Amino acid sequence: MLDHTGFAEIRWGHQIDVFSGSKHESDAHEFDTRGVTFSGVRP
Amino acid sequence: MTQQVLAAKVDRDELREQIQAKYNDVAVEPDKGFHFHTGRPLAAMLGYDEADVDWLPESAVESFAGTGNPFSMGRLAEGEVVLDIGSGAGIDTLLAARQVGSGGRVIAVDMTEAMLEKTRAGAAALGLSNVEARLGYAEELPLESASVDVVISNGVINLCPDKMAVMKEVHRVLKPGGRFQIADILVHKEVPQDAKDDIDLWSG
Repeated sequence: MLDHTGFAEIRWGHQIDVFSGSKHESDAHEFDTRGVTFSGVRP
Repeated sequence: MTQQVLAAKVDRDELREQIQAKYNDVAVEPDKGFHFHTGRPLAAMLGYDEADVDWLPESAVESFAGTGNPFSMGRLAEGEVVLDIGSGAGIDTLLAARQVGSGGRVIAVDMTEAMLEKTRAGAAALGLSNVEARLGYAEELPLESASVDVVISNGVINLCPDKMAVMKEVHRVLKPGGRFQIADILVHKEVPQDAKDDIDLWSG
């Protein structure tokens, strides 16, 4: 998706199991859902 | 991330109403219990510095509902103009305002007025004069083009059915050379289209 919006220097940070222990934990695990950080630059 | 992302077929206005209702509850009843983690325990889980969290007003911390830490991708520089999309109760806005200092500025945009009130109250409590809270949507940002140095966001784009529209708006408002630092949700397994199109699954 980011490739289609013209950003450069895309970087990905670490991923976290943010739903662990929450009410939606089983649903989140079904789709391997993670919290993630990312960054990019407008050229 | 080279796959084209199509907008989900949900009624955008109805979805916005449901999400506004949910996050109004997070603002005014933070102890109610939600399908996601909130508050100080969540901030600790996401790696926020404990001293930073202690500096923030409790009214902002208690309604925090992010999915990561945008500042883990880099600290902001003094004097920068920052946009926080879906700023919620404002903890990222307030931390950003401290990082950019009095020579910088942070614009917090959220579609839930109760959250914006928390951000304004937090800025006032901390004596920050470089924070402005605006009502608006991620897909239609109330900012001029090429007007900000940094866009931050935390756990918001996953709630928007047209993610491409959001990222195009991020591109539009950033100055050339500007950057985004975003935390959000990523699913590693394909979600069935009928689930994507089921509005009741979006806000839980």
